[in-house]
Parts: sequence; structure tokens; C-alpha cells
Amino acid sequence: MIGRVRILIVEDDAALASGIARILEGEGHAVDVMAKGEQAVLGARQERFDLIILDVGLPGIDGFEVLRRLRAAGDRTPVLVLTARDALDDRVHGLDLGADDYMAKPFAMPELAARVRALVRRSQAQTGPKIVHGPLVLDTLARRATLEGAPLDLAAREWAVLEVLLARVEKIVSKESIIQAVANWGEELTPNAIEVYVSRLRAKLDPSGIRIRTVRGFGYMLEEYKELHAGQ
Amino acid sequence: MLLPPVAALLVLGAIGAYYLALDPANEAYDQALIDVAIALGERIRVNGGDLGFDLPGAAEQVLRTDRYDTIYYLVRRPDGTRLAGDAGLPAPPRGAVPEDSVIAYDGVYHETDLRLVAMLVPCGGRTCTIQVAETTKKRRLLASNIALSGIVTSAVIALLLLGLVWIGVKRGLTPLEDLSSEIRARSARDLQPIDSARAPEEARPLVAALNQLFGRVEEASANQQRFLANAAHQLRTPLAGLQAHTELALSHDFPAAQRAELEQLRTSTIRTARLANQLLALARAEPGGSRGDVVAPANLRAVVEEVVDEWVHRAMAKEIDLGFELADASVVGDTLLLREALANLVHNALEYSPPGAHVTVRTGVRNQRPFLEVEDEGPGIPAGERERVLERFYRTAGTPGTGSGLGLSIVREIAAAHGAAIEIGAGEGGRGCKVGLTFPHG
Repeated sequence: MIGRVRILIVEDDAALASGIARILEGEGHAVDVMAKGEQAVLGARQERFDLIILDVGLPGIDGFEVLRRLRAAGDRTPVLVLTARDALDDRVHGLDLGADDYMAKPFAMPELAARVRALVRRSQAQTGPKIVHGPLVLDTLARRATLEGAPLDLAAREWAVLEVLLARVEKIVSKESIIQAVANWGEELTPNAIEVYVSRLRAKLDPSGIRIRTVRGFGYMLEEYKELHAGQ
Repeated sequence: MLLPPVAALLVLGAIGAYYLALDPANEAYDQALIDVAIALGERIRVNGGDLGFDLPGAAEQVLRTDRYDTIYYLVRRPDGTRLAGDAGLPAPPRGAVPEDSVIAYDGVYHETDLRLVAMLVPCGGRTCTIQVAETTKKRRLLASNIALSGIVTSAVIALLLLGLVWIGVKRGLTPLEDLSSEIRARSARDLQPIDSARAPEEARPLVAALNQLFGRVEEASANQQRFLANAAHQLRTPLAGLQAHTELALSHDFPAAQRAELEQLRTSTIRTARLANQLLALARAEPGGSRGDVVAPANLRAVVEEVVDEWVHRAMAKEIDLGFELADASVVGDTLLLREALANLVHNALEYSPPGAHVTVRTGVRNQRPFLEVEDEGPGIPAGERERVLERFYRTAGTPGTGSGLGLSIVREIAAAHGAAIEIGAGEGGRGCKVGLTFPHG
């Protein structure tokens, strides 16, 4: 459901870089590969990318420095940071510097591909008024939803919960964070109330193959839409 | 420790005092004997050429009466023969008795020790010898008394001294004791220098040397950390490349046989990566592997929430229902290690649970102690093997071939580093496996 996007891979390990590049090309994306940080900073300045996959451990200036320079220059391109270190500090540091996601090496390619899709979708959703998820379209300006082209009736709270889940496809969203995003100021919402909204959403969306998974005792996850689920 | 030598000194002192006390005792009693000898000398009568001795029976009675000792006397003529008294008393050493004077000496009579005095008295122009002797009972008694009173005094003084020395040493050693208990209480990760201002003057060079050692150990540990981080980087990047290309190859159409080989290659790559991660984690969890400054207050709940995303996807891929029952649980520890311990527990639970099974991660406080536990519905660990699975590279019989046997030993090391108890049991209803870590109160 996402169009062809331009992706910049900044990775000094040639084998890994070419592996990632070929997999993403296989998904229909246009991919550039650079091995040095300085080169990446210049490249991102000259051309527009939809996503940058950035390794931390680069020769010369490292990935964090590249990220810092990009953000300092006002570049808001989504960045997925790759690190070979597993220190939590790396993740926190990267996210602080403005990374959008983080993966530790080694990783499974399907997971990388899914994260790439999610990041691109998110950035596209942020730029346009319409959120598209398979057969579901949310027009955030007109506040109208359609499912398989037909108008979809959503109560205000259901809309709010769905928006939170749509912003984080394939990510686990805790009930607490849904409550925080949905509740009006000074209002008390119980986790039970969230359960009610989610079950109503499921009743409306499930027939079209849109799945909201329950993570027992924690929260929910909106699955990536797969044509397979639609059963058509 | 001081007691035996002090006791020995006391005994030696007592023996010395006894012999030293004999002299004054002798002197006092010798004088009494000399008085008797003088009195006896006045009893010699000279009748022309003949010598006589005039001692009435009653007087002799008085003379010989003594409370403790037997008294003897002997009066010799100038030629040495007996004039009166007890024959056979030991004679004084020849020529040793000066004119107009007395000597005192020791001798034996009827197998009894005697103290004797001898003196010369004039008799008819020549000299007679008078000897008076007594047994030594009261002398010894006196010497013993003197020695005894001495020894009692010494013993009391010695005991008081011992007490004073003990108190003094104790007081002097208190700062050292404090210092050693402080060092004993340290965790193996704490390499902070000791405050030398708090150490006693004499111990400061020792403290300085210890601090230097701590510094070197810390530096070595930091070097090791850098090496580990580099090793991780160097290993993981090519492994990621290997995995990427294997998966890329798998996306093409291949005959089933080649496909199976590629699958095998991918599985091995993932296992190798995991093993590398685990070895690094194990090295970090060992004492000295991690630096003291990463130990900080942490909430086990937050540690779990941090990685929920990663695990849930793996669980979903295996169609396992991974659930959470999380409550706040404050501990002090190394977040990275705690996360590693949890990751190993969850990994095992997901690995050994069949599709459709439940796996539950819990955190909270139980009996005032923070805990975390992971429960699964897999085959469980037989009671007899629950200790052994904590050993490195141990794997229960008949387990599928993906594990390295390191996971639980890593958990054990991390538990030990945090002073936490590890408990392996069966899940609810005796099914599956439940592994829990219970942290120290606080």
C-alpha cells in the first residue's frame, strides 16, 4: 500500500549493505548505498530520500554524528539506526538524537522490511491528511472513515483509539499509552473501557481482514495488513 | 595469644622469688640460732685443765622447743671431740670459722636438711666450737609465703596488664576492622577507591596500595569492556550480512533439497549470532566484567516493557500467547544485565512451548521482595535436573537442537551479581516450567 520509495543505506560492511539493498529492491524500492558518514551527510543534503538506514559503527564520523548533523540541518527524513552493539544506551542515545527506529544486528530481513514499511507509512501519514491501512482509509481532515470504499461509522473514542494504533502498526501499544492519548484532560479512563472500544473496532474491521492483536496483560497491536487476510 | 608466655613468666618469677626470699628468711632465723649459740657458750665451765658443760634439763628443754623445727646443738672441745649435745652434726668447713665470729652454713643430718651456725668460744686458753642447728621447715614456709604473696601480686598486675593491652589493641584495631568489613561488604563490581582519610595512620600506605590495585583492575576491566564491545561489533556485522544473503537466497525459487540446506544455513547463522551474544553477556555478568557505575535503581516492570515489542513478535510467529502480569518492582542493578536475564528466560519459554501455549512474564513484589518470573507450558524441567540446568552448556536430554545450554547459566550469573535467588519449578498445575528470580529486600 506504500508506493515506491527512495532509501539510503549507510553501512560500511559491503556484504550486509548489498544484502539489505537487494532485499529492499526486491520490495520495489529505489536504493542507494554509501559506506561513509561524511558522504551520507552530503548525499542527504543533495537528494531527497524517504528513509535512511544508518549504521552506528562507521569509519570516520559515526552514525550518531551523521544523525546529529542531519537533524541540526533540519532534515526530518525518517532514520532507522542499525547497531552492532547491544547496549540499551545506544538505543536511547539514537532515539534522543532523533532516530525513528532502532535495530540490533543481526536481524531477520522480513523484520527489517516490515520496519521499513512502517516507517515510510508513518512519515507519509504525517505528511498527508489521509491514513491508509489496506482497505481502511481515515481522512483526518474531514474526520471521515471508509472501509472497502463504504462509509465506516466510528464513535469519537473508537476513532481516537484506532488513530493511536494506526500510528504504530506492528508495534505493541500499551493500554496505558492508549488511555493517555485518548482521555480528555482531567478524565479518568479505565483499561476496561479501552477493551470495550477495541472489541467494537474489531467487530467493524475484522471482516475486512484488519487484525488487532491482544497482548495479554499489556496492550494491543495492529497487524500489518496483508492482502491474504482479505480472503478475496 | 599473650596468655601462655605471660603464665610462663609468672612461674619463672615465682621460682626466682622463692630463692630470693630464702636469703632474708635465713638471715632472720640465723640470728636466732646465733643467740642460742652465744647462750650455750656461756655454759662452758673450766675447772683447772678440765672442761665441763652446765645445762640444766629444764633449760635444754626450753632451748630445744620450737613450733616448727627440731633444734640440735653440739659443743666440741678444742680437739674437736664432743663435750655436750648431739653427736655427728656436720662440722663447719675446716678453718672457715673466724675468731670471735660466726658462720652459717647448710648441712644434712639424719637425712634431713639443716641450717647450722658455728662459733668459736674461748675455753681455758684455747677455743671450743659451738654448733647450733635446726631443720629448715619454717624457713621454707616463710620463703614460700614471701614468694606466694609476690606471685599473687604479680598475677593480679599481669592480668590487669593483659586487660589493658587487649583494650588498647582492640581500640587501635577498630579502624582496621571497619576498613576490612567495608572491603568485605563490597560487591565484586565495586572498584571505588577507599577513603584513606578514614583509615588509621599506620594503614594508609596499605590503603593507597589497595586503591592503586583497584584502579588497575578497573582499567583492565574497562579495557575488557571495550574489547567486548569491539568483538560484538566485529562479529555481528558479518553475521548480519550472512543472514541477509541467506534470506535473500531463500526468497528465490530453489529445489527443495537446496532450500533445506539454505534453511539450515540460516538457522546456524541465527544460532551463531545468539551464541556470540550469550558469551558476551556471560563475560559481562561475571564479577569484574561490568563496571560498578552502571549499577543504579531500576524497575523490573520497566525492564520488561522495554523489550515487549521484540518478544511479542517472536511469540506471534510461533503462535504462542505471550502475556504479562506486571507490577512495579524496584531493584538496584545493571539494567543491561537484567534485560539479558529476562531475554534468556523468555527465549527459553518461547523455544520450548508448543504453538497455542501460554507464556507469562510477571514482575512485582512478593513477601516484600521484588521478583520477576517467566512461566511456560512447555515440557518443563524434571525435578532432578533443576540444579544441573544452571550449569554451563548443560542441556536436558531430548531437547530440540537449538539451545546452546548457556541461557540459564547466564541467568544464574546475573542473579548472583544482583544477590538474587533463582528458583526453578513447575508451572501452574504441575505443568510446564516456571523460573523466578527473587531480589534482595529493598
